[in-house]
Amino acid sequence: MVPAVRAVELLGYFQDYQLTWSFLLDQLVTGVTLGSLYGLIALGYSMVYGILKLLNFAHGEVFMVGGYIGYYVLTWLGGATDPKLPIGIVIALMFATAMLGAGGLGVAIERFAYRPLRRKRAPRIAPLISALGVSFCLQQLAVILFGSPPKQYDSFAFDGGSFFEPITIGPFRIQRMQLFVIVLGVVLMALLTVFVARTQTGRAMRATSFDIEAASMMGIDVDRVIVVTFLIGSMLAGAAGVMWGLMFQNISATVGFQVGLIAFTAAVVGGIGSLPGAMLGGLAIGLGQSFAIGYVSSAYQNVTVFVILILFLLLRPSGIFGVPAPQKV
Amino acid sequence: MSDVPPLPPDAEQSESSGPRIGADEWVARSGERSAHAGLVGRVSASYERVPKAAVFAFFVVLAAMVPLLSAQTANDQYFLRVGTVALLFALLALGLNVAVGFAGLLDLGYIAYYGVGAYGFAMLSSDKFGIHWQAWLVIPLVVVVSALLGFLLALPSRRLVGDYLAIVTLFFGQIFYIVVTQGYRVSLLGLNNDLGLDRANWDLTGGPNGIANVDRFNFFGLTASSERAYFYVTLVAVVVVFAALSLANRSRTGRAWRALHDDALAAQAMSMPVNWLKLLAIGLGAAVAALAGTINAALLQGAFPDDYNTQVLIIIYAMVILGGAGNLVGAVVGALVVEVLMLEGLRPQTPLSDWTSSGRWVVYGGILLVLVATIRPWRRLGAILAGVVAFGVAVHLIVAATTAHGADGLLNTGPVSYGDGGWLGWLIRHWLALPADTYATGTRAPFNAALVLLIVLVLVLTLLHGWARDLLMIPTIWLAGFVWETRLVLEASGPTRLLLLGAILIVVMTARPQGLLGKPRVEVV
Amino acid sequence: MAEPLLQLRGVSKAFGGLQCINALDLTVNEGEIVSVIGPNGAGKTTLFNLVTGMYRPDLGDILLDGTSLVGLPPHKITQRGVARTFQTLRLFLNMSVKENVMAAAYGHTKASLGESILRLPRARREERETNELAAEKLSFFGQRLMGYRWSQPAYSLSYANRRRLEIARATATKPRILLLDEPAAGMNPVETHEITELIGQLRQEGGYTILVIEHDMHVVEGISDRVVAIDHGVKIAEGTYEQVATDPRVVEAYLGTTAKERT
Repeated sequence: MVPAVRAVELLGYFQDYQLTWSFLLDQLVTGVTLGSLYGLIALGYSMVYGILKLLNFAHGEVFMVGGYIGYYVLTWLGGATDPKLPIGIVIALMFATAMLGAGGLGVAIERFAYRPLRRKRAPRIAPLISALGVSFCLQQLAVILFGSPPKQYDSFAFDGGSFFEPITIGPFRIQRMQLFVIVLGVVLMALLTVFVARTQTGRAMRATSFDIEAASMMGIDVDRVIVVTFLIGSMLAGAAGVMWGLMFQNISATVGFQVGLIAFTAAVVGGIGSLPGAMLGGLAIGLGQSFAIGYVSSAYQNVTVFVILILFLLLRPSGIFGVPAPQKV
Repeated sequence: MSDVPPLPPDAEQSESSGPRIGADEWVARSGERSAHAGLVGRVSASYERVPKAAVFAFFVVLAAMVPLLSAQTANDQYFLRVGTVALLFALLALGLNVAVGFAGLLDLGYIAYYGVGAYGFAMLSSDKFGIHWQAWLVIPLVVVVSALLGFLLALPSRRLVGDYLAIVTLFFGQIFYIVVTQGYRVSLLGLNNDLGLDRANWDLTGGPNGIANVDRFNFFGLTASSERAYFYVTLVAVVVVFAALSLANRSRTGRAWRALHDDALAAQAMSMPVNWLKLLAIGLGAAVAALAGTINAALLQGAFPDDYNTQVLIIIYAMVILGGAGNLVGAVVGALVVEVLMLEGLRPQTPLSDWTSSGRWVVYGGILLVLVATIRPWRRLGAILAGVVAFGVAVHLIVAATTAHGADGLLNTGPVSYGDGGWLGWLIRHWLALPADTYATGTRAPFNAALVLLIVLVLVLTLLHGWARDLLMIPTIWLAGFVWETRLVLEASGPTRLLLLGAILIVVMTARPQGLLGKPRVEVV
Repeated sequence: MAEPLLQLRGVSKAFGGLQCINALDLTVNEGEIVSVIGPNGAGKTTLFNLVTGMYRPDLGDILLDGTSLVGLPPHKITQRGVARTFQTLRLFLNMSVKENVMAAAYGHTKASLGESILRLPRARREERETNELAAEKLSFFGQRLMGYRWSQPAYSLSYANRRRLEIARATATKPRILLLDEPAAGMNPVETHEITELIGQLRQEGGYTILVIEHDMHVVEGISDRVVAIDHGVKIAEGTYEQVATDPRVVEAYLGTTAKERT
């Protein structure tokens, strides 16, 4: 390792501080945090694709709306500087309302933009275009309703800035906020995994994702399963929206599209349709992006994500956990 | 070959006797006959007898006369520019139609080729690098490069199912935008200085500011420098591309594209090289987009990143979908409708929107048109319209009687100007209840709430049927007018227009997937 | 003995844990009509998919006129002379009847897109020839797919006409061998009778070699020079119709055995 590091140093490319272990670990921590966030959003993409074979482009906007709901709840409760309730309760309320609101939005999108197309047996391309339309509409509505300047969470002001104080766990230096995001993300994903594996509805979801017609013929209410899928996926995205606002201090109308694309890449890389794939893909993309920002350039972070995607699509289009599906003739 | 199984005793074999169900031409063609019934049907039947080339020539001549007409108005330059932009969008819509309409491929990176055309032209015909090649050289060069780029980018995804192609192309579009906006400090991994180069980085694309001072079109010494010249240049491009794509659609390649659209697997089994055809479709679309890009760069005398971003992509898609994917005439019509009515007609304080009273004719006319087109018996339509008017007048009177200034606001005629809007304005102001001093002062919250309520009502409308739906339609239409006047018309910069475009995509897909002029498709499930 | 037109040698194909085709040998000589029969799930359509290149065999070789087809993309295999119809009907529904047939002529025409747009001589000539080819192939079915029907969209056709159109489309690729996947499925006795005659005519007038998957034993009996029976991906009998129909293994595959017979 050392000779390689020396060689790279000699090229003069890396700055001095970039070649330290602590920098690497910092990037690792950032990557895992981002990965937790992307994983939550990617789960929504994967679940919907698994059942409907639909790329729900509007999912990123659901994430954005969750972030905005969190902002408005926070402001209504006095803001970060002067909260009317204890901080823990404020944050819990933010998450709860954002998840509910985002979930409701996701269900509404399914009901009005996708279900009519399912009923009509429209071509595959139709819901994709409808999804693009929904995404665009939501973005513009956000600008109209909320205005274009980003809304400030101002989370740095929470508790006098303690949220961003680093604590040390072993060799890692991690901010409290990052730890919170990682833990909450893991908890939500674990809850989802248990739900899908152990409950009746979860079983129904899995069955529907294998063969939607067979599932409906086995007595599963496919429409209800689809609604639940959208609900859960959107709730997770809503939670991710609040996390984003807390971590990055603000939320804007355009962030949904950008982050949505990246989370979408994560879902594809992990194997679209696979839940562990979405989580792992989120982690992979989060780490990839973090290392790109740290070691390459923050201007080209998205290019790096894209290169990862292209490599996967070339070498293993079904992703890490996806199963290559042979076409039945 | 031995025994052929005997025919069942009651089978008929004669060709004579009367009509046979399913075998008789008269029965089979009843669909065609009913399509030609009625006034509209007879008109369309006679239209179908006119040779298509004649119709085409007619419209070309009509379009060519537009500059002559606009020269009669006071805003000649403006109208010419709008016309040129509309034709440019028509060109883009035609190009997108190859991949999306003919072959059924969702090419979401199409905007990148438009940008490649513009930036390519800008780099080769401007002060940027001091190269000033003439247009007759640059345009074909850029077009070919763009087509090759389309090929190359589609190559890794040629084997992927349609969804994956959409993903990859979407990302290429995003990457193009990033590369172009970051392209003002490009270096070899930051090692320029170490490699002994004289600059730490190069400015290739001008970054967020783009490339300015791009040359005008220069063909062997003839320079196109007036608005009128570019109108005709773009018109010629549209005509040529339209003709070429029409011929392509009728060729073996066009049939193969349409076969691939219907059933890619069967197309392969019937000797068609599906992967190659996909590349060809995307490449051809890329070439047309690049052509449009060069024209745009020469027209604006610059190449600016925000002309080639996702928003513009959605605009082009809305045009193609509205007109009818797969229909070349539809693409042109969609482009003209969207550009003239929606993008310009709703833009405040332009000569066009002065005509349309800041877009009011477009909005109220549009709502009226949708009602007329979808509500069938005239009586029902009349009842609903009467109800809408009565409802509005009633609300207005009640509000006027119960509040001060609650119903006497003026109409918005620009970002911060208000007026009485003439006779149309008088009608609107007495039909709605526009609170004075409220929306004028900029408090948005109650009107935001009204907008959200409107969206909810529209969605609920799709769930209802029969008289319940008709009844709910009345306050919904009134509310639409109210929200327009108090909230949406104030958005000078564009979210409203873009919102309507996004809505077009959703509504067309859910209500009439074949768009205005397309043919309904039958899909194998 | 002339070289067989189509030859499968030791072909095996598995999907996951399921062995669909197991060491299958099959030959079809030029001018023959061979029927493949077997219970559902026996692997018959998989066989067609292997020959036409949709799947790649795990083991073994598939030879057309002595040259291997394995690894070639499906469109190339069709261009070499193998055409098929589909069990579930896969027409180009939004294209007209005539266009469906004309589209299949792609493989033996050469005009490029540029030539077509500029209407150069080769493109015009090929377009004319393709038109004539489509008319000829459609006329094979009498008046059913002629005249005004040419411009009707394929989705407006009746079921039996759709099956006929698919056969017409397959013949437009100018194949050496036709693979017909259950051509009589869903047909009433009159139509079945017609199809049986038609398959004979295809060999007689068209000169095609034909490999047919069929369930209707009347049809099989009426057309076949040879019959091959397959069960669970393995060939269990081969011979004339009489030989195969009475072969005990074939009877067992279709009807099963009683516990008494098995012991």
